[in-house]
Amino acid sequence: MSSTFDQVATIIAETCDIPRDTITPDSHAIDDLGIDSLDFLDIAFAIDKAFGIKLPLEKWTQEVNDGKATTEQYFVLKNLCARIDELVAAKNAGA
Amino acid sequence: MRVPSRGAMQLEYFQLIDRILDLNLDEKTITVEAQVPKQSTIFEGHFPGYPIMPGVLLIESMAQTSGWLLLALFKFERMPFLAAVKEAKMRGFVPPGELLTIEANLVHEGSGYAITDAKIKVGGKLRCNSTITFSHVPFPNPDLRGHMDAVAKRIGFPQQALQS
Repeated sequence: MSSTFDQVATIIAETCDIPRDTITPDSHAIDDLGIDSLDFLDIAFAIDKAFGIKLPLEKWTQEVNDGKATTEQYFVLKNLCARIDELVAAKNAGA
Repeated sequence: MRVPSRGAMQLEYFQLIDRILDLNLDEKTITVEAQVPKQSTIFEGHFPGYPIMPGVLLIESMAQTSGWLLLALFKFERMPFLAAVKEAKMRGFVPPGELLTIEANLVHEGSGYAITDAKIKVGGKLRCNSTITFSHVPFPNPDLRGHMDAVAKRIGFPQQALQS
């Protein structure tokens, strides 16, 4: 988890020009860091590449729009990192 | 309704691709050709006495080329829309009458978005290039789908590529 967070925080800092020390596990990417959907595509691309996964952004967006999930579940960084770890584990289990 | 015509680019209508030369879904690459018209109202303003293709139209032609690759990869079930243009470089002027060869390849296919690299060559030499991001969604309405089918026919989209 911690190393996933470090990688994600570095990606966000570099991609969106946000000071690294303002990014914490409790930061909400949209509400706290002000990242919009287009900037999040760059972050998703960097995360997909770095971890060899495909963040299911469409599914997440649909769940939020349908009221089945909250943005906190996917966009608070500690939760995002947990999702990334799950996707990496699923990929490794299937390999 | 305007009937798409065969032949050269029509800049005013954003018809920026003449024909698909090659589409390889295994390699995720596409090559198209476009002949810049000798005359166009665009050149009356860009620039008087010194006509050259506007950079935005060259970028658009790279985006359209990439778009056809993505449409093929999505089997015409989703429509790509331009979302971001990075590192677009206009390396030389493109005057009226030049034959453009435009290539694109898929860099990454994410969830609801895709990234391509595209380049324009003239006489084998690189003239423009860019990295382009698209968001893609299911076709928003049948009219747009019908339009894309008509353009596919005009530019010789190889339907057999979708069978493999």
